Amino acid sequence: MTKKDQSEKPSATFNDWVSQWERTVDKFSNQFMGTSEFSQSINLMQNMQLEYQRAFGEQMAKQLANFNMPSRDDILELSEVMRDIDRRMARMETAINKLEKGQARGANKKPTSPPRTKRPPVKKA
Amino acid sequence: MSAATKKEKKITEKMRDLVDKTIQRGVKGVQFARSGKANVGQSPKDLIYDRGTLKLYHYHPMSDEVYRIPVILVMATTNRGYIFDLLPGQSMVEYLLKRGFDVYMIDWDPPMPSERGLSLADYTQDFIPSCVERVQQESGEEDVNIIAYCMGGVLSLIYAATHLDGPVKNLACLTTPINWQEMGLFNNWTNQQHLNLDKLVDTLGVIPADFIERSFSMLRPAAKTAGQLRLWDQMWNDEFVTSYRAFERWGNETIGLPGTYYKETTQELMWGNKLFTEELIVAGKPAKLSEIKIPLMHIVAEHDHIATYGATKPLLELAGSEDKEEVVLKGGHVSLIAGPNAVRRMWPKINEWLGERSV
Repeated sequence: MTKKDQSEKPSATFNDWVSQWERTVDKFSNQFMGTSEFSQSINLMQNMQLEYQRAFGEQMAKQLANFNMPSRDDILELSEVMRDIDRRMARMETAINKLEKGQARGANKKPTSPPRTKRPPVKKA
Repeated sequence: MSAATKKEKKITEKMRDLVDKTIQRGVKGVQFARSGKANVGQSPKDLIYDRGTLKLYHYHPMSDEVYRIPVILVMATTNRGYIFDLLPGQSMVEYLLKRGFDVYMIDWDPPMPSERGLSLADYTQDFIPSCVERVQQESGEEDVNIIAYCMGGVLSLIYAATHLDGPVKNLACLTTPINWQEMGLFNNWTNQQHLNLDKLVDTLGVIPADFIERSFSMLRPAAKTAGQLRLWDQMWNDEFVTSYRAFERWGNETIGLPGTYYKETTQELMWGNKLFTEELIVAGKPAKLSEIKIPLMHIVAEHDHIATYGATKPLLELAGSEDKEEVVLKGGHVSLIAGPNAVRRMWPKINEWLGERSV
């Protein structure tokens, strides 16, 4: 874009500036995140976090069991069962709807789908 | 009219435009802040197969006649499939339906804790074959075509390489990484010397969605802020805002991964680079790209920051197909599929290539 165009469109100047800023930040960050030191430190932090998460989770599960309350794992298990029930219900609903539509259309008539006769357009020479 | 009067008029018009847009930014900014989730994936469809994390949809045809061979879209395992059907007018699904394709899509739900043990073998030897079978039943056709995106492409290639006499007639991969040593920062972050993969997988079971989302965001740390600045600038532009909201929703709805699958992907593909070296074995079967003989097209993005061009390029060199083509298009990893240029560049290319092979 020429300087004249830019002066006429402040929005374009703004966009150019944003793009430039984005490129600079990303380039600098990528250089930093591409080092072995960065890899070592994020993985170290991650390990510490996982260790903490595991220990805290175990402790919390014990405490919740003492209070006769469900743990996170119990809730997740329950939500999975709920999801399965939900899906079964949805499948049954779909089947009933299909059956109803079939009856409305006449029991022996199959739902119409377009014929598989489509040919690609002829290429111009 | 004198030159001075003309200049004055031009300045007045510019000022008016500036004031108009500033007011609209304010009004629409409030609307934006109060708006709910973007309404995505609107093309009518039926869920025809549903098993745990796996979902198979069949889209309602939008043309009077369709090509003989149905096409299955295989979504990447980390994200929602509605990127293929983002918004009306900005939907690859809608585009294909209107041009006479019978479209199915394999999509993924977030895996539940009991699915932590799903492996590459489950995805490539069970999920994809089961969906192909369903599509064959539903369409009454023996043959199928596949269009697969990113990791969906990796899974489809493994499936094709381990089912050499299978029903897949044509395979179009979109930005599919093959040489994982070229995956840039992902390589550094999962450095074998520093990453305790066993501990990660054993502790978490299912790798959480925010973990995946964070690693994508870290590739371009400034992208979110820059996006918000662009949004503010374009807040008066309804079309831009609608599209922004849809992309933002998609970016935020990343999916977690089953621990075993994540572990295998890291060990076999990232560390071992076995898809590239042709040493990959899945469920006891060798998955060699050189054994794939079906027509193959690979569309890659010039500015892809996730599956870099270096990572995607070797597919054509390795594949054993005689009929194979690579198309390099302008754009990034996501804009290639659903960006404003997709309708002008990528979708017509798919339509042309697949159309003549779908009869």
